[in-house]
Amino acid sequence: MKTANFIKLSIYVVASLTLLTAGCSKSKPRVTPIPGIARPSGAIGTEERLQPIRPTGGLEEGQPIPFGGETRLDRSLWTQDREKFKTETVYFDFDSSVIKPTERPKIETVAAFLKHNPQYDILIEGHCDERGTIEYNRALGERRALAIRAMLIDLGIAPQRIETISYGEERPVDPRHNEEAWAKNRRGEFVLLIPPGN
Amino acid sequence: MSKKIKITLALLCLASIVRFSVAQEEIVITKQTWALNEKPLPIAVSGFTGEVHNVIRFDLEVLGCKIVSTNEAQFLVIGSNEGRVQGKLIDLISGTELLSKAYSGGTLRLQAHALVNDITPFLPNRGKGIALTHIAFRITRNGISEIYVSDYDGYNPRQVTSDASIAAAPEWVPGQFALFYVSYKGGGPDIYFHDLETGVRRAFARFPGVNTSPAVSPDGKRVAMILSKDGWTDLYTAPISGGELSRLTKSPEDESAPTWSPDGQWICFAGKPRGHRALCKIPSKGGEIQVMRIGAPSPTEPCWSPDGRWIAFTAQTRAGFDICIVPASGGTATVLVPGEDPYWAPNSRTLIFTRREGDGSKLYLLDVPTKQVKDIPKYLPGEYSQPAWSRK
Repeated sequence: MKTANFIKLSIYVVASLTLLTAGCSKSKPRVTPIPGIARPSGAIGTEERLQPIRPTGGLEEGQPIPFGGETRLDRSLWTQDREKFKTETVYFDFDSSVIKPTERPKIETVAAFLKHNPQYDILIEGHCDERGTIEYNRALGERRALAIRAMLIDLGIAPQRIETISYGEERPVDPRHNEEAWAKNRRGEFVLLIPPGN
Repeated sequence: MSKKIKITLALLCLASIVRFSVAQEEIVITKQTWALNEKPLPIAVSGFTGEVHNVIRFDLEVLGCKIVSTNEAQFLVIGSNEGRVQGKLIDLISGTELLSKAYSGGTLRLQAHALVNDITPFLPNRGKGIALTHIAFRITRNGISEIYVSDYDGYNPRQVTSDASIAAAPEWVPGQFALFYVSYKGGGPDIYFHDLETGVRRAFARFPGVNTSPAVSPDGKRVAMILSKDGWTDLYTAPISGGELSRLTKSPEDESAPTWSPDGQWICFAGKPRGHRALCKIPSKGGEIQVMRIGAPSPTEPCWSPDGRWIAFTAQTRAGFDICIVPASGGTATVLVPGEDPYWAPNSRTLIFTRREGDGSKLYLLDVPTKQVKDIPKYLPGEYSQPAWSRK
């Protein structure tokens, strides 16, 4: 059975190769037509003309899609001070957005400053280590920033002065892949927002 | 064998093939579904050269085929690419010619993909061809990430964004050459709609806080997403053309990465009900959350298959990430291969996913039933992640 199949197959392959070569070569070999075959020898059943793939259309900014409610505030004219609260960076446990007791005094320091300097606003950046998937971490980073924000509000800071941004795992301070690096990367950073003209 | 005898033999052979193929036209290909742990399909490829041969081979391997010599094969793809691609698909068990076609226009590479695309429905359990589909993904270089689209095999990458910030989470609009994605260009993670035909981009969700993980419903009418504008990261949906938001979850717990069921009735997402990470399902019009008990650690990034049968997702262990699938109706998860962020092809058989290795990350294609993996070559430098398969 196997041998029979093999012979059948070998004949077929030889035949097909011969036909295709015959179909493609420039000097056409003489072929005697056999009655009863509708199509010429070696012919391909159908032919399809393909359209080249479209190019990408480029980039042109259109009108925003309309939604009710507040949109992100345009702070492009504000300046950012990243140094002011460098030592107040809040660190988190793995996969947690709970503020540890050791981190609370840092948030209190920031709250005290904001109370005495009402002209400034604050941005809280939420960050994660790389042990998590990208979109999971984008949500986790936001929850960390929101946890800090909630504490600032508890300490008397007006909600509209506090912005949050999550970078997920996209902005590690330490790019290494070990426990020490991960601990540094699970953090909430404070950025002082200074209005134009200050 | 003299040349004359050879040709006569060939023609005799052809005569029988033609009869077969006439009969074949009346056969309706019934829709079959694959099962886990299938053996690779042995197939021979003959007569093609260079890029065309490589493309045909790659496309077939992605579909769980194993390229073997003709005497070991169940099917034979035979043809040529002199000037244009032409080819036949032969069932070697029955000796039947199943397809015979030639192509013109486009490039030889496109013609090679088109041949495999036409062959695919004749191969058992492979469904519709995917060789002419597109993917979107992001490339990160020096902390800056941009969205790209390319052929499904990574070839011909075209840059979509040039925001020089963070771009993320691309998602195709079903039936359109258009994307939703996230860009930080406006000062934080906002969701944009980008029509790739016209090039016009429109801001979609730019509420204070996070706007991320857009997922378009299969009928193209609504977008599910994660927003934090009300103080927690929660799941929302909104009409694709704007209007009123609908808030589906209201909790300080995790919600991320929504995906729609193909009938549009359900949304699956990664959650953390009662402190344990789990895949959850919620009616897309709102209602009670169903927690899926699937026996996989820390599941995230669910993706519902277009045929509705499966949910692919990422499980996280101490060792890293694994690609898993679970029946959408519930059951026990199956671990497939190491990797993360799976996304189904339109055939509901192939997955594209990311794998981080050393300091880089790359995209891979996985044939789920055979667990055969093909890596997508990087035609541009950088780290590739967050792939999404077009639904056109």
